Amino acid sequence: MNASELLYLDYAASTPVDSGVAAVMQRCRETAYANPSSNHAAARLAQAAIARAAGQLAALLNVEPQTLVFTSGATESDNLAIAGAARYRAERGRHLITMPTEHKAVTDVFAALERAGFSVTWLAPGPKGLLDPADLAAAIRDDTQLVSIMYVNNETGVIQDIAALGGVCRERDVLFHVDAAQAVGKIPIDLSALPVDLLSLTGHKFYGPKGIGALYIADRPGCHVEPLLFGGGQQSRIRPGTLPTELIAGLGEAAAVAAARIDSDLAHLRALRGAFEAGIDAVEGRVVNGDAVGGFPGILNVSVADIDGESLLLALEPLCVATGSACNSKTQEPSYVLRALGRSDAEAQGAIRFSFGRQTTLEEARFAADHYRRAVAFLRGIAPREPAR
Amino acid sequence: MSDPYSSEVRALFRAPAHAGDLEAAATGEAGDRDARVSVAARLEAGRIVAMRFRARGCPHLIAAAEAACAALEGKNAVELREFSADGIRDRLAVPAEKTGRILLLEDAIRALGRQPDGTHDLESSRED
Repeated sequence: MNASELLYLDYAASTPVDSGVAAVMQRCRETAYANPSSNHAAARLAQAAIARAAGQLAALLNVEPQTLVFTSGATESDNLAIAGAARYRAERGRHLITMPTEHKAVTDVFAALERAGFSVTWLAPGPKGLLDPADLAAAIRDDTQLVSIMYVNNETGVIQDIAALGGVCRERDVLFHVDAAQAVGKIPIDLSALPVDLLSLTGHKFYGPKGIGALYIADRPGCHVEPLLFGGGQQSRIRPGTLPTELIAGLGEAAAVAAARIDSDLAHLRALRGAFEAGIDAVEGRVVNGDAVGGFPGILNVSVADIDGESLLLALEPLCVATGSACNSKTQEPSYVLRALGRSDAEAQGAIRFSFGRQTTLEEARFAADHYRRAVAFLRGIAPREPAR
Repeated sequence: MSDPYSSEVRALFRAPAHAGDLEAAATGEAGDRDARVSVAARLEAGRIVAMRFRARGCPHLIAAAEAACAALEGKNAVELREFSADGIRDRLAVPAEKTGRILLLEDAIRALGRQPDGTHDLESSRED
């Protein structure tokens, strides 16, 4: 099956690089190839490209460029934010808070910190995946130093109330980290107005290149991270290493493109979601996982309890979508995110995540819905009949 | 990650000609928490003249059920009781972690071979 035969609906996993972004990267590759840490005219071209990109990203988030540290992506940003902040504030206390519905790039860092002697409280979400700020307030202790909550859930599209949760942390002088990999460039984020101390992002989720991300570190007392890497003086030693100029330029351009079209992108996604949901309305027994009304419109996670998710995924080809389960893993464990929302194993196994993007058309959304309906009918049609009761 | 399905698995999964029911046929069934498979056979003079299956599970299970039904039609009914899924598992390159799913198919077909209706015909076939 070649690319032209595929219908890509996995934009939450990654997005194609915007053509304007690719052009900027190509120009950068040709003209700003010098090591930006060097001290000559060619290096200054690279420095200028990086400064421009930092400005573009800062403008998208409404922060100062100096508050941004470039990383290899959201996983590294999450690691740097969580492990770095926990270590920086370890003498004040060793209690941390997060949720089991976070991305593995977050939960695995907390698990590692637990093994290193930190105490972690895992707050359960409500049925829609949302964390009640009152639950967070009740969990904060005198020795709590860091809370990490994701902005938009990668599996369900649930949008947390970052302003309220951050407000709770600010009142108690607890650092607040937000994994915003699924949010930056997709929904408006004004960090000058949000009580967020640390925020992770990655370029390839919003039409930028893979291999580049950033960590925002608020410029306020007590907000700092210990570095995870050593070996150079770049980026104030917080994240040393030669800066990848063309990737950073691509990230910056992706931010500029997103800033210019974020409202129209959202309107487009809402239309796609509406068309898709109307198309699957006739599928009996379907359950929308997450906040069906207030969530990010680009992600729709749907379960049917009586269908094997892996077979549904294959029956859905040429749609490129994601299952709610690690279907090809040796364990075949259902999604821990959906289980945390109270879904049964069967519902979690039969979950499919559809995620739409700029290139998705209304016709494709309708086709995908029709294909989903037929795939479910096919698999139900060959399933063993339930015994008569 | 390489494609987990061979072209044969894909073909059998997409067009399972033997999926469905048989009237007045012996049946066998097996299942666990995540998957279930039932098979039905019509026997005449000790031979399997028609087989059908129903399955809920991964693509490999559905493809294997289709392959097994196709392979068993025309065979002596005694082969139901002695059915081994090893050949189909190898032919379809079923991943080791899915061996349990394929054994469900084996269990269902052997259960079918032990059904009273099947036993009668099996006995007849031995007299031949």
